Amino acid sequence: MASFVPTSADTLEDQRLYTRARLTEVACLDCLATVGVKKNSEHHTSIQWTAEARAHCPELSRRANGRDSHYACPRMIASIEAAVREDRIPIGAEDGY
Amino acid sequence: MSDTRYLDRGTPPERFARGWHCLGLATAFGDGRPHAVEAFGGKLVVWQDSKGEINVLDGYCRHMGGDLTQGTVKGDEIACPFHDWRWGGDGKCKAIPYARRVPLRARTQKYPVVVRNGQVLIWHDVEGSAPDLDILPPVLPGIGTDEYTDWTWEVLDVPTAHCREIIDNVVDMAHFFYIHFAFPTNFRNVFEGHMATQFMESTGRPDVDGAGYGDEGLMLKSEASYFGPSYMVNWIHVDYKGFETEVVLINCHVPTSDNSFKLQYGVCVKKPEGVDDATAEYIGKRYSETFKEGFEQDVAIWLNKAPVQNPLLCEEDGPVYQLRRWYEQFYVDRADVTAEMTDRFEFEVDTTKANEFWQEEVAENLRKKAEEESRPADEAAAASSSAMTNG
Ligand code: FES
Ligand SMILES: [Fe+2]
Repeated sequence: MASFVPTSADTLEDQRLYTRARLTEVACLDCLATVGVKKNSEHHTSIQWTAEARAHCPELSRRANGRDSHYACPRMIASIEAAVREDRIPIGAEDGY
Repeated sequence: MSDTRYLDRGTPPERFARGWHCLGLATAFGDGRPHAVEAFGGKLVVWQDSKGEINVLDGYCRHMGGDLTQGTVKGDEIACPFHDWRWGGDGKCKAIPYARRVPLRARTQKYPVVVRNGQVLIWHDVEGSAPDLDILPPVLPGIGTDEYTDWTWEVLDVPTAHCREIIDNVVDMAHFFYIHFAFPTNFRNVFEGHMATQFMESTGRPDVDGAGYGDEGLMLKSEASYFGPSYMVNWIHVDYKGFETEVVLINCHVPTSDNSFKLQYGVCVKKPEGVDDATAEYIGKRYSETFKEGFEQDVAIWLNKAPVQNPLLCEEDGPVYQLRRWYEQFYVDRADVTAEMTDRFEFEVDTTKANEFWQEEVAENLRKKAEEESRPADEAAAASSSAMTNG
């Protein structure tokens, strides 16, 4: 069913670049969750979860659908920081993505 | 092959989003008359029956197309002004005063209604599904009690833009500086399921005279979540020169066509201690006016911009593509909603460099301003009139 439809094939490539490119897998040091991480700079972080990873995370599962479900899981953040320290996540953007 | 970036305007969806849409405050419909609400490419009729229930039907009579919004409430039904057919809130024709019997097929489009936090919400789904009560916006504790002021409510017409423009705001860090005159110092997004959230901390710019958020003394901590495609709750902690206020802002909209929508917003303020009710209501009104300026700043942009299906982003921008991927779930059949659209996604925007550049820009503006003010008045006037002849 047609929704917002691009009129150029390049737009599909842009969608892929911005949402999927350069994601590095990071496994949580405390649970079985593995997420896709991108860091365009030291202060930037992009975290892509899957339903499977989400189900593994005890911290996020503990929170009901309330306002606190927005906050990041501190263990996952710590795991990402550890990966950064170990140079496992390339830092820097490629032409804005 | 040219290196010029192509601006893909895309084509807007042929349908309206699935989900809960807010039509306004329940009190606005409580006078026993039919009310017309423009929505989803047509018109709806809204009325309250004798039991206090609010009913919403398609605005046009299935008999000969009479305009039900110009009809009369008779008993609990809406009576058409053309031939007096009586329609119930369940969508069935209950009576035709001049007929032996009512045709069995006399059913019209009805919209399931829930009144929540004093607001009327209706369920819209082109697939005709049952209303999903699990994804209603949350009940807001304390609102509707003496703890908070009453809702203010305003409507802004946006006649020439798709409502995705207002959704894009969720991730648009930089526009807060240029359009709303604030420094967004912290900015974070989380999308998951039917919710999309923006966290922001900001302070007003000292180089512009208070419009919207642009007031140097204004420090905001804002948490804003869309619950579905059109209804946002924005919890705002305001520190205005040391005076702290808890504000709840509802920002919602109803699409009226594939290129127009009505933006609505309402404000409640937690009554500050030691402040009487009248003053608290006044504070609520003032916040409503501040947000009005803010929304008008956005609307002015939308009415003139082009739709963009392929935004070109820089490193300081928020996750526009991921937000739109999330938004897409409301425009496809339920069976076509993919995991990617609803999977949790988090994005922390790096605001450090941007704020460094902006601080410099603002300092420079303040320096120029001070320079102009220290110049003798006639010299300044001469300079500005000669500037005008050059522009
Ligand atoms: S058109 Fe409504 S009663 Fe005839
Ligand atoms: Fe805005």
